[in-house]
Amino acid sequence: MGTFVQLVVDGLSAGSVYAAIALAIVLVHSATGLINFAQGGMAVLSVYIAWWLTTRGVPLIVALLVSIVFSIAFGALVERYLMRRFERGDPDTAVVVTIGLLTLITGVAGWLWTYNNQQFPSLFSLDTVSFLGVSVSQRSLGTTAVIIVVMAALQGLFLGTKLGLALRAVANNPESAAFSGLPVGRLLMVGWGLAAALGAVAGALVAPQLTLTPGMLDNALVYALAAVILGGLTSPVGVVVAAWLIGVLENLAAVYVPFIGYDLKVAVPFILIFVVLLVRPQGLFGRKTVVRV
Amino acid sequence: MARAVDVPAPSLRQRPWVRLAAPLLLVVLLAVLPLVLPESTNETLARIGVFAVAVLGLNVVMGYTGQVSLGQIFFLGLGAYITGYGVQQDWNIVLVFLLACLGAAAAGLLVALAAARLGGLAIAMVTIALPIVGVPLAKRLSDYTGGSQGLSARFADAPEATGLYDDQWQLYVVLVIGGIVFLLTRSLVRGKFGRAFAIVKGNEAVAASMGISPYRYKVLAFTIASLIGGVSGFLYMFVIQYTSPETMSFGHSIELLAAMVIGGAGSIVGSLLGGAWYVLVPELTNQVDSSLTALLQGVVLLAVLFVLPGGLASLVRRLGRGRRRLRAEPGPGASPTTPLSTAGSATATEETGTEKRGHA
Repeated sequence: MGTFVQLVVDGLSAGSVYAAIALAIVLVHSATGLINFAQGGMAVLSVYIAWWLTTRGVPLIVALLVSIVFSIAFGALVERYLMRRFERGDPDTAVVVTIGLLTLITGVAGWLWTYNNQQFPSLFSLDTVSFLGVSVSQRSLGTTAVIIVVMAALQGLFLGTKLGLALRAVANNPESAAFSGLPVGRLLMVGWGLAAALGAVAGALVAPQLTLTPGMLDNALVYALAAVILGGLTSPVGVVVAAWLIGVLENLAAVYVPFIGYDLKVAVPFILIFVVLLVRPQGLFGRKTVVRV
Repeated sequence: MARAVDVPAPSLRQRPWVRLAAPLLLVVLLAVLPLVLPESTNETLARIGVFAVAVLGLNVVMGYTGQVSLGQIFFLGLGAYITGYGVQQDWNIVLVFLLACLGAAAAGLLVALAAARLGGLAIAMVTIALPIVGVPLAKRLSDYTGGSQGLSARFADAPEATGLYDDQWQLYVVLVIGGIVFLLTRSLVRGKFGRAFAIVKGNEAVAASMGISPYRYKVLAFTIASLIGGVSGFLYMFVIQYTSPETMSFGHSIELLAAMVIGGAGSIVGSLLGGAWYVLVPELTNQVDSSLTALLQGVVLLAVLFVLPGGLASLVRRLGRGRRRLRAEPGPGASPTTPLSTAGSATATEETGTEKRGHA
């Protein structure tokens, strides 16, 4: 029983990281209609910045804040100078652009900081706490808690502020938003910046466990995309639930299904996808979209 | 082609004797070259052939049908593993070849049947998992794949009767098999199926209204791409004689996609250029600094997308056209050195437009 609870909590923590990246992808998709395959790569870049600052003697929490500010600026610049040209065009070309961006970021990180694994300090201690006779690691609890708080803050931003209202208007209908005087271009930059910051938080939380390499979040990106498919691109709540589901299921499968084990657990979300696709092609929570010719 | 009409004399390519002689000359050239080139050049050419076939497969699903696939390298790896295993078990080599093709095609069909159910970018989002699941899977099935050690198979020794060196024999086999695949694919994309692929790429709703099921043609394109990937896997094993899980890593998958876009999406010549890019660029950058490869790939990929959406193939085509136009009317208006930035993309879209009309 103790193992089971520990596995579920660890799964929720991993799932929270996938959820954050998946949410960033959904955020970008709802604003600009494209899937950003570089979302993980952008997060890795900002974790590298934080890591570089800590090696220069900057306290971890300050380094993290600086890296998050950097992410917001970087996301906004990427939107303005790289993606905008492709946003209203063919989505497949735009996807290839994000793949080019991923290659570029990986290349820059590998060139500046080598492809060797780097140790990243953890925000939370590795000790376990006992709770109702079951011991769970503080890091898992902390990761999950931070990401839930960040998601709640984002939800508050979108539903409770004027900026959030404007962002939702642009996502909903960019042309009408422009007619009513909203600075659509600048709002898209804000959307990309927020998404990049969300990815950066997730990256910083998972980096101590994975150790920092330029390809650190490639697997996490795959999980996040799986969560996006399962949850449906139109449903942030569905995506988060799907990410947690994936995190928990893959952890349980790694231990309780001998053939899968730790090395093949990345296959779990895709087995899940195959099953779901046969039953509900629009995703667990998504809506069917109808396209007008 | 509207522009060809403006040219007073028929251009060189349109004269009947050139149309007959040019392919013949090419075949003779390809038959002679392996005999006279040095060994290392032959080996490089053979590797370019292998990856040109892989890029061609990717082009069928991505360049012609417009479905982004990040999993093409998986089918190359699968074909290579099937070939390696079959050779180790001493199966008939023709049977091994067929198994490599069909095994990859069957896997591709299975993936496509599920992935193509989701519209839009889902194929990209699902196929990204293939290399990421493929590597640990290959390590796990170590009874068949040799685990992380990899699998080697030597079956590319030149038969005694031919009197060829191994490198010449390898290049000939790659030229023949690769050539056949290229010719078959060329007919495929220029024929009925190619037109259907183009409509699915252009607008799925229109395709459906014309009785062309986007789902079925996406699955078909993906399956053909996997089949061609299987062929390239067989050739990979034939030329390189060794495969490991690293063969189908995520990084290689992205490099293959970059090579396709840089070579030229939706272009047969572009697939050849893409294969050359895939093989030659890492060799060149490794001489300077191997950690620069990814950086350079990213920069060039983005640069191509910005200024040259048709890839290197469109550059070749445009240079040819520019020279012809210059010869026809040497006026100030027909400067062949049009700035690439603005006029370039305009011509590219116009070009694809006329091509599509030409096909329909």
